[in-house]
Amino acid sequence: MFQIVARKFLEVTLFLLFITFVSFLFVRLAPGDPVLTILNVDELAVSKEQIEVLREDMGFNKPLLVQYGIWLLRFMQLDFGQSYVTGQPVVDMILMGLPATIELAVGALLVMLVVAIPLGSLSALYRNSWIDHLSRIVSIIGAAIPSFWLGLIFIDLFGVRFNWLPTMGRDGLVSLILPSMTLGLAISSVYVRLLRSSLLDSLSHEFIHAARARGLSELRIFLVHAFRHSLPPVITVFGVSLGSLIGGVVVIEVLFAYPGIGKLVVDAIRQRDYPLIQGYILIMAMVVFVVNTCVDLSYRYLNPEMKLKERRAS
Amino acid sequence: MNRMKTNRRQFYFIFTIYHSYIKYSLKIGILLACVSLLSACSPSLSSTEQKGEDRHIRFLYNFSTNSLDPHVDSSYVPLRAGITETLVRLDEGNLTIEPWLAESWEGEDGQNWTIKLREDVTFQNGRKMDGEAVKASLERALRESIAIQNALKINEIEAEGYTLHISTTEPFPELVSELVNPNVSIIDVTEEDVVNKPVGTGPFALKSFTPGSKLELERYDDYWDGASNLDRVTFSFNEDANARSLALESGQVDIVYRPEVESLDMLRAKEGVKVESTATFRVHQLTMNLERKSLQDVNVRRAVDALIDRQGIVDTILLGHGEAAKGPFLPSLPFAPSYDERPAGADVAVKYLGEAGYTLEDGKMVKDGEALQFTLLTYGSRADLPLIAQVFQSDAKQIGIDVEILQIETPEAYMAANRDWDLATYSNLTAPRGDAGYYLNATFHPTGALNFSGAHEPELTAIIDKLNRTVNHDERARLAEQAADYVNENVINSFVLHPSTIVAYNEKKVKNWVTTRSEYYMITNLLDVK
Repeated sequence: MFQIVARKFLEVTLFLLFITFVSFLFVRLAPGDPVLTILNVDELAVSKEQIEVLREDMGFNKPLLVQYGIWLLRFMQLDFGQSYVTGQPVVDMILMGLPATIELAVGALLVMLVVAIPLGSLSALYRNSWIDHLSRIVSIIGAAIPSFWLGLIFIDLFGVRFNWLPTMGRDGLVSLILPSMTLGLAISSVYVRLLRSSLLDSLSHEFIHAARARGLSELRIFLVHAFRHSLPPVITVFGVSLGSLIGGVVVIEVLFAYPGIGKLVVDAIRQRDYPLIQGYILIMAMVVFVVNTCVDLSYRYLNPEMKLKERRAS
Repeated sequence: MNRMKTNRRQFYFIFTIYHSYIKYSLKIGILLACVSLLSACSPSLSSTEQKGEDRHIRFLYNFSTNSLDPHVDSSYVPLRAGITETLVRLDEGNLTIEPWLAESWEGEDGQNWTIKLREDVTFQNGRKMDGEAVKASLERALRESIAIQNALKINEIEAEGYTLHISTTEPFPELVSELVNPNVSIIDVTEEDVVNKPVGTGPFALKSFTPGSKLELERYDDYWDGASNLDRVTFSFNEDANARSLALESGQVDIVYRPEVESLDMLRAKEGVKVESTATFRVHQLTMNLERKSLQDVNVRRAVDALIDRQGIVDTILLGHGEAAKGPFLPSLPFAPSYDERPAGADVAVKYLGEAGYTLEDGKMVKDGEALQFTLLTYGSRADLPLIAQVFQSDAKQIGIDVEILQIETPEAYMAANRDWDLATYSNLTAPRGDAGYYLNATFHPTGALNFSGAHEPELTAIIDKLNRTVNHDERARLAEQAADYVNENVINSFVLHPSTIVAYNEKKVKNWVTTRSEYYMITNLLDVK
C-alpha cells in the first residue's frame, strides 16, 4: 500500500515538475516584454536605460534555468508570486476567478447532458430513422457554428428581442443561463455522435442478447447493461477534452462579460504577466490531472471486464 | 409481429425514462425561466426609475479590470467612474491644464514646486483632504508603481497645512501636466482595502465591486463641487464590441463606450439612441526605419508619405470615425502647428522617387539595378492597423513598389529587437496629458523607449532637450511646434489619422453626457437623467 501511494506521489511530482518547466520555457520564449507593460510605455515617457535597469532588477537578464530555479524555489514554499500588472498575489487572483469558471463549466455540462443523452440514445435506438437524421443535422450544425456567433444570436434573441435574460455579468443563476447554453450546445454535438456510436457498439454485444435471454426487462438491459457499457469512451473523451473546454470558456467569458479565469489569463498573456500565466497553467494542469485520474477510476466501476481481468491476473 | 411488439415496448420504456428525465429538466428549466422572467423585469423598470426616486445610470465600458487600485490599475477605472480625482485635470475645451483638487501651483525653476490645495475637499469617508493626506497618497503612488516613479521624478514631498512642497530629482517642467495621470489619483491611504474599495474625493463612492464585471456606485452627498443629481451609477465592463451594442439595444445599459462600428447604423435607427464620436489624442502612424538604406533618402520617405490616402482610409476603414492626420498632434491642441496642405497621391510619390533616382523599369521602381521594396510590420491588437497596411500595399503596387506585410504579435518588443523591417504601422498617444513632452521624448529622442525609427537627428534632439528644461508654458508650446515642424519637414514617421472615440447612449434618458478627447473623465457630477 505504502509503495502504491509513494509511486503515485512520485508520479504527480514528476508530472508537475515537467509541466512547470515546459510552461516556464514556453512563456519566457514567447515574444513580448513585461517590462514595457510595467513601465506603461504606451503613455509614459520611458528611456531605454530605464527599461534595461528594470529588466536587470527583475532578473530577466539571468539565464533561463536560473530564473526557473528561483521560481521553483518560491513555488516550493507555496509562493506563486505576484502579478506584474496589479501587484496582487497570483493565487488570490486565480481563486477569485475560478468559481465563475467552474460555475460556467458545470452549467455547460448540464446543458450538454440534457441535449446529448436523449439525442445520442434515441439516434442509437432508432438508427437511420428520422430522429437519427435529426440528431445528425443538429450535431453538424452545432459543430459548425462558432460559439461566439451562437452567443450573439442568443443575446439578440433572449436579450434584445424578448428581453428575458441578462446578457452579461454574473448576478446569480439567471446570468448563467445564456453563457451555459452557448457553451453547452457547442460541446454537445461531439457527445451526441460519440454516445450514439458507443451505444450501437454496446447493443450489438453478446451480453445484451444474453440479458434478453435471461428475460430481463428492456429498461434494465438498456440502463444497466448497454448504457453503462457505452460510457467509458464518452468519459475518456470528456477527460481528454476538459482542457479545450476550459479554453472554450474564454470566448464565452469575454462575450458575456463573465468574470472567470479564462479572461484573466488572456489579459495576462497579452500583458506578458508571467507569474499569473505560470500560476494558471499549474493550477489547470492539476485540475486536468485530477479529472483524468477520476476518469481512470470510473472505468473500474463502469466496465466490469476490468475488475474481472484484475481478478484473473491476481 | 413479435419484433414489432418488442420494439414498441422498448420504445415505451425508453420514452418513460426520457419523459421523466425531460420532465425533471423541464422543471428546472421552468424554475430558471421564472427566475429569469422576474429578473427580466429589471430592464423595463428603467422608465419607472426615471420618474421615481431612483435616478440611476448604467454605463458599459470596453475594458475590464480586476483591481481598483488607483495607483496601479492601467484601465483608470476609479477616475473614469468618478471615485477618484487628481490634483490637476485637462480642460477639454482648450486642451490645457486646469486646477482640480489643487487650487494653484508654481515652480519657476522647474525643480521646486509649491502646490496649493483646495480646502473644501473631503474624502468619501468624511476625512479632510489636507496636505498630509495628499502627501501620503502621492508617496503610495510612487511606492506602488515604478512607472509613476519614473514619470514624476519626485525627490521629496513636504506638507504644510494645505500646501505641498515638491522637489524633483532634476528640473522637470512637465511635473504639473504629469499630475493629470489617473494613476496619481488622490485617495485616503488609511483605508484598508485599496485594491477593492478605494476611497477618493470624487462625486461617487464605491458601494460594491465585482472584479472583471462591474462597480456599483452611489452619490457622495458632500462632494466639494456640488453633489450629483444621480442616486447611483452602475459601471460595468464588456470587452466584446458586438455584445456592447446589443446591450444598449436591449435597454440593459444606458451608455455604451465604443460600440461596434458596423452596428452604428442599426443603433442610430433605434429611436432615442444618440451616437457621438470625438477625435482622440491617439495617432495611427507609419513608422519609418531610418537605419534602412532606401529610407535614409528623405525623398523616398516623402514618396511613402504621399502614397498614404488618409481621407480614403478614414472613410473606408474607420467609416468616417476619425480625422485625417496632418502631423502627430491633434490640430486642436495649442502646440499643433498649422500645416500647409501637402501634395499627395501616386503622381507626387513617383515625382519624389524620381528625385531620389528611381526609375520605372518593367513595372518596378528601380535604382542602381535594385528594385524598391519594403517590409511593412503590422499587428492585430488594433484592428484598423492591418487594414491600413493592406491599403498602403495596394497603393504602392500601383507605382511599382513591392510591399511585404509581416504580421507581428508584440510591436514594441519586435521593433526594438529586430531591425530587418522598413515600415511599421503603429499607434501612439501623442499628448495624453496635454503636453507634447511625453511623445517627443519617447519617439524622437535617441534615448526614448519608442524611438523605433532610430531617429538620431541632432537638431531635433536639441529642441527636445531644450523643451525638457523650459518651464514657461508659451515657450514650451513654441518648442513643441518647432519639433513637430522638424518631424514633418524631414518626414520622420508619417502620420495617418486620429481615430475617434465613439459613444452611443439613450438620449431619452441620459443628460449631460460628454465624450471627452482625453478619455479620462466619464462619470461626472453633472451627468444626470432626464
